[in-house]
Amino acid sequence: MGETGELGRREIGVFGRVLVYSVLIGFTIMTTYPIVWLAFSSFKTTQEFQVNRLGLPRSWTLDNYPHAWRIGGFSVLFLNSLLYTGVSTAAIVILSLAASFAFAKLKSRATPFLHGSFVVGILLTLQSIMVPLFLMANATHLYNTRLGVLIPYTGIGLPLGVYLCTEYVKGIPDSVIESARIDGASYLRIFSSIVVPMARPVTTTLAILNVTSVWNEFMLINILVSKNSLKSLPVGIMKFSGTLSSDYGKQFAALVIGMLPMLAFYLVFRNQITKGVSAGAVKG
Amino acid sequence: MVKHSKWKTEQRRAYLVLVLPAVLVYWLVMAFPTVFSVALSLTDYNGGRLFSSANPVHFAGLAHYVRMFSDPYFWIALKNNFYIILISVFGQIPLGFVLAYILFRKLVRMPGFFQTMIYLPCTISTIVVGILWQSFFSPYGPFSEFMQRLRPGWENTLFINPRTAMLPVLFVLLWMYTGTYLIIFLANLQKIEPHIIEAARIDGASEGQVLKYVILPALSGVIVTSAILAISGSFQSFNLIFAMTGGNPARRTSVLSLYMYDNAFRGAPDYPLANAISTFMVIISFALILATKAIEGRFGGRE
Repeated sequence: MGETGELGRREIGVFGRVLVYSVLIGFTIMTTYPIVWLAFSSFKTTQEFQVNRLGLPRSWTLDNYPHAWRIGGFSVLFLNSLLYTGVSTAAIVILSLAASFAFAKLKSRATPFLHGSFVVGILLTLQSIMVPLFLMANATHLYNTRLGVLIPYTGIGLPLGVYLCTEYVKGIPDSVIESARIDGASYLRIFSSIVVPMARPVTTTLAILNVTSVWNEFMLINILVSKNSLKSLPVGIMKFSGTLSSDYGKQFAALVIGMLPMLAFYLVFRNQITKGVSAGAVKG
Repeated sequence: MVKHSKWKTEQRRAYLVLVLPAVLVYWLVMAFPTVFSVALSLTDYNGGRLFSSANPVHFAGLAHYVRMFSDPYFWIALKNNFYIILISVFGQIPLGFVLAYILFRKLVRMPGFFQTMIYLPCTISTIVVGILWQSFFSPYGPFSEFMQRLRPGWENTLFINPRTAMLPVLFVLLWMYTGTYLIIFLANLQKIEPHIIEAARIDGASEGQVLKYVILPALSGVIVTSAILAISGSFQSFNLIFAMTGGNPARRTSVLSLYMYDNAFRGAPDYPLANAISTFMVIISFALILATKAIEGRFGGRE
């Protein structure tokens, strides 16, 4: 980060320091307080919550959790979310890397057009395909199927995936590829034994970006499946905002359960996530 | 010569194998549906078989667009989208920049801790966030408690009064996404060559002058990119509002994506209108992005 920062610390004086710390601490409190409040509210029974909304629980209870888990059918939801996230992320990474290897290292006149179509896709939003995907899913009988969810999830991750991977693969020296060619290796072999291992940084970034966006995805899957056995975690949690919303204890427990996986993931992969977010934003 | 043409066929085959899966899936899932939707918006197709002789599909021209523009709910939704763009571009981005600047210039200790905490909301599912804040701002949540202690007898009509219902939503958007911009700006600030800043300080520039003449110009490209991100992102806010207010009261907090959802999936489906809305959203997104790029061109992105 450079030594320039230290110069700043001395410059702004006490008043400046107080101001700056208050801004940061204030923002941090604003960010974390709702979550903290949620957490200890989930340990109150609904009855207690009705009289004690802000304070710490007078009698801590864990009951809300098993009940919320059961009512929400979270076991199935968790498995589904894992499946959707895992499979689509793997597919996105492999497909993106393969295509980007071709775009970056193999000469073809189709490349500008095809690669460009992916880049344009980065600007397309879920909204623009929500209704047609629904209509298409019905027409192809993929409505209420796992495949009917996995294919769209994969497709949506491809624009950014192809963009990021192509930028990265361009950076692999041509000489490496050429010497492998001279040794007689086929392109596919070069892909699997050279490109894939070398691309670990970008595939990690891509995987992490996709895990966070697919796991939390709600809108598309909500439209594409109606069977409870196929729903993902966010969809299941939505159940707690309707008729169950007055059973606060269970609602809060459900929300905490919904938050934990990604929160844990974030705390573990913090650095990669922040790198990925800034990489994803540096487009064009 | 023979070897060369063998090379070429092999290269072509490899290209196909490598590229085809991604292209197929992507075109199937994104490119084709978008075009399909635009086409459908010009017809009266409302579900069922596409090419049936019993119920043929007719060309409807711009009829649905006319309907859309005469629908008052469309304008309400558009207005709300506009508010969201405002809060994103003039709230999240400046705030994110200020916070990134503070962390970058090491004006406080433990920058890593603050960064982690401020980015935290971005990792939580928007549905969870929506329900959480719905509770938070509801009559039984902490916000009411605070307000009642400040001003006893205060009635929580936040979500009931159509004029104030959007405010909690905008606040939550600020809460959620400022962290993203913090990360983006911080990463780019760290890319600035340190010796440029050093040189400026040695020349006697104050903190403010460094900011104005070194840092801001260097970051102008990223700021524009962020504005673009913010604008396209603001059209995507569906989950949050869906979970927080469902578009209510009386669809006053609706946004375009929710408005489209309502017309397609709530009550009797009106797919032509939904497709028209969808097309409109794509067009306006592109238009805004082009406009932003044009502005960037005018003001110059000196690097």
